[in-house]
Amino acid sequence: MVSSPLHQLDCCLVTDGGGAVVLTTLERARHLRHDPVVVLGAGECTTSTSMAGVPDLLRTGAVESGRRAFSAARLGPAEIDVVEVYDSFTITVLLSLEALGFCGFGEGARFLEGSRARPGGGFPLDTSGGGLSYCHPGMFGVFLLIEAVRQLRGECRERQVGGAETALCHGTGGMLSTHATVLLGVDR
Amino acid sequence: MTVPPADEVTAHWWEATRERRLVLERCRGCGHYQHYPRGICTACVGTVEYVDAAGTGRLYSFTVVHRSPAEGVEVPYVVALVDLDEGPRLLTRIAAAEQGELACDRRVVLAWDPLPDGRALPVFRLS
Repeated sequence: MVSSPLHQLDCCLVTDGGGAVVLTTLERARHLRHDPVVVLGAGECTTSTSMAGVPDLLRTGAVESGRRAFSAARLGPAEIDVVEVYDSFTITVLLSLEALGFCGFGEGARFLEGSRARPGGGFPLDTSGGGLSYCHPGMFGVFLLIEAVRQLRGECRERQVGGAETALCHGTGGMLSTHATVLLGVDR
Repeated sequence: MTVPPADEVTAHWWEATRERRLVLERCRGCGHYQHYPRGICTACVGTVEYVDAAGTGRLYSFTVVHRSPAEGVEVPYVVALVDLDEGPRLLTRIAAAEQGELACDRRVVLAWDPLPDGRALPVFRLS
């Protein structure tokens, strides 16, 4: 037990690491060597600056950041092919999936029952394995973006989600208090 | 245990702990209660006065920490969010609790964890 109810395997392994994302216009990107991936929508929300200021532990700022991103992209959760959610702790994933509208509040654990998030399991989630499987360099969110881009480019070989055309990335910062949602898609 | 130094906004709060009083800020204009001290009403930007908290509240959430975050910090200890009956939510600790007794929504009452210089930190016990 680390901090109840979280055991060791509910927490990411702290590691070194890094990543980068190149942003440019779609017009410019179409002349580059790799297939472009399009930012369809994005949203941010910060709910508090300290643990004492958290208005509701069970409804995170992902509710609002997700609403803004989905609204900008004119998409809904049912239209997302790949979901890349920050997973500092197991509870982070459940709260985020609920807040982003993939399931109802309080239903996150049941939603993932039956190994639905495993490869080929019907709900492609954290397809790199997520930080819980291998790392946390402090800014894990960039790995969510990199994995989503690779999925949309069809570069993922054994773990490739077939026919993936849309992806959601959700990053969480602060003390579960700062949220950013990005929706990505293939270039049509 | 080290605590941050008091400044002009927090000095009154710290001094009250010498008398084992937990003080809240209440807005003279809109009546809004807040904690920790900010010196100005976070609801309406009005001026604030200090009032003593009743020292009773409800356990909103908690965790029992089993891994020491730093050398010299003894575990286990309970980190808690307590909703005071006046409204403000405190990040605090639950003192001397049997782990099986802890549950969200349980009533709690103010206790004090003394500091070497006569001041004290507000903690809570199950009531």
